Amino acid sequence: MSTLKQLVRNPTSLTGLILVLLFIVMALGAPIIAPPAENARDPYMIPHDGFSVEPRPPSEEHPLGTTEGQYDILYGIVWGTRTAFRVGIVITLFTAVTGVIVGSIAAFYGGWVDDLLMRVTEIFMAFPFLLAAITLTAVLQTVYGRGEAGILVWGAKIIALVAFGRLPTKPLDPVSMRLMTAMMALMAFGWMTYARLIRGDILALKERDFVLAARTMGAGDFRILFRHILPNAIYPTLVVASMDIGSYVLSFAGLGFLGLGAQVGYADWGQMISFARNWIPRLAQHWHIVVFPGVTILLFVLAWNLIGDAFRDILDPRLRGARG
Amino acid sequence: MRTYIIRRLLTLPVLVFGVTILIFALISMLTPYERAALYVTDIPKRQGAIDGVIAKYGLDDPIHEQYLRWLGKVVRGDLGWSKTDKSPVGEVIRRRLPATVELALFASLPMVGVGIWLGVQAAVNHNKFIDQILRVNSIIGWSIPIFVFALIVMMIFYAKLEWFPPGRLSDQAQRIVLSDEFSRYTQLNTVDSLLNGRGDILLDAIRHLVLPVLSLSYLNWALVLRVTRSSMLETLRQDYLTTARAKGITERNVVNKHALPNALISVATIGGLVLIGLLNGVVITETVFNYPGIGSFMAQAAITLDVISVLGIALYAGVILVLGNLVVDLLYAFLDPRIRLA
Repeated sequence: MSTLKQLVRNPTSLTGLILVLLFIVMALGAPIIAPPAENARDPYMIPHDGFSVEPRPPSEEHPLGTTEGQYDILYGIVWGTRTAFRVGIVITLFTAVTGVIVGSIAAFYGGWVDDLLMRVTEIFMAFPFLLAAITLTAVLQTVYGRGEAGILVWGAKIIALVAFGRLPTKPLDPVSMRLMTAMMALMAFGWMTYARLIRGDILALKERDFVLAARTMGAGDFRILFRHILPNAIYPTLVVASMDIGSYVLSFAGLGFLGLGAQVGYADWGQMISFARNWIPRLAQHWHIVVFPGVTILLFVLAWNLIGDAFRDILDPRLRGARG
Repeated sequence: MRTYIIRRLLTLPVLVFGVTILIFALISMLTPYERAALYVTDIPKRQGAIDGVIAKYGLDDPIHEQYLRWLGKVVRGDLGWSKTDKSPVGEVIRRRLPATVELALFASLPMVGVGIWLGVQAAVNHNKFIDQILRVNSIIGWSIPIFVFALIVMMIFYAKLEWFPPGRLSDQAQRIVLSDEFSRYTQLNTVDSLLNGRGDILLDAIRHLVLPVLSLSYLNWALVLRVTRSSMLETLRQDYLTTARAKGITERNVVNKHALPNALISVATIGGLVLIGLLNGVVITETVFNYPGIGSFMAQAAITLDVISVLGIALYAGVILVLGNLVVDLLYAFLDPRIRLA
């Protein structure tokens, strides 16, 4: 509780909190701020006003202008907020849970289990994150492109269930297929930080008196881990998780920009900016296709980073009041 | 020290082995037909012919046999056939590597230099105006997508002012570089032009490097700054610095000669993170600036689902990172007298 109070009092994190709040309002109010056409099948597909190639500058009809192919930028930004929250939160959730499970098992059982799991963690960390995500996205898109059912397809469906609240039809339609592959790729290479973090915290707690007391009273491994150790060790993990939401949105936008994320025309910020690649020599004239979605991503990620930065200071008071 | 080095060196084969296992696990998610590009350059379309290829290269064999066969090829530098480039993946990497190395080298200089310098300024002026400005700036640096930054500098300095063009060399310079009168000793255009005494080529190469170098280093200097700052803050509170001040040494010398060298030891630990930043950054930077390196090739191959090329580059990057981390750890052990003399 006192942490929250400190977050509100700190001007940096207050800015972050207000920004996040604004984005939440934008995400929830999307149907009002940018109402989809009545006959639209999927509100996440940005409506386009004609098919003309050349982007158009801001006008009364399109307050932030249109991209190549006449996709409305305002609509894309507003509905893209929902995509951003969805992507950031779902990826963070899955990576954090995976990491906590792996790290807990490693720390709690120790010995060769610990060794093995930590080596696996190191191997996953041996790849630069974005490069690994690009690679896995390409592989997964090839696999899903075949349309065969398998464990992976079920994995994608579970993620889709969490992200969209409904099971996708079988087989995965191309739109959600592209979203799922990019998200799964980011998840696969994102859990290691959590595993290492929770492992360290558990190791520090494992031999404490209250754990030994619980053990002498006959509590089983499971109960000790979930009722006694994890609640005491989870706090730093939650902090990292809150900071990760922004950085996953950043990476997802990177994949979208390269053409590996959301489908063309889907309300996703990175995908919208990727149109700008075709207009580089004329960007001075078509500045709006970069600046509006670009600033939106910047503000979204900045908001989480501001909160995270203040969080870290609150949790690590060593530097407060240091010489200066 | 010696045991530390030996122990650290022993993890190297384990990690490299793990990297190959992970890459091969991804390869094994492909069908035998899709895997065929690892072995043959021209995948036949007819059903019977495909079966022949699959049988000949044992693409339906037990997975460990396939792994060993693949590993044997990889060790010899054969990473398969790139359908994007219509040439072997290993050759594409060799051809495009110098461009990426040149970009990364030039980017790491301002990144590390400026980052350390600003970090010291922030620490020395802790909680004062400069510190706050730098802090806000580095958070923004962390938050801005590299492609947005790159596109904006392109918008200003290329589309508007026409100062710095995309690509690696202008057509004219490219012709000279490829001609017989120009010897390509290192394949790095800036170095080669100096060795050939061609000022015009040097200028042209630098003109093309300015913007990508700026983009690639911008988001990473924030990291260097932050680590230098906190490491400096820790060091500045040490007793030996109070002693130094008590002896009448100027504050400037206290900071630069007594505090900084010790603070930099822990800055060395982020060498690995800087390398990760560079490896991740080149993919997007090279794509935006149409720079003909490995990064832009990887992005291009990924979009066309040329999985064999992408996996080849990922393997390459993984091994480079493992080696890079090893160098950083050894360097750290060497720099820190507490480890070196233990």
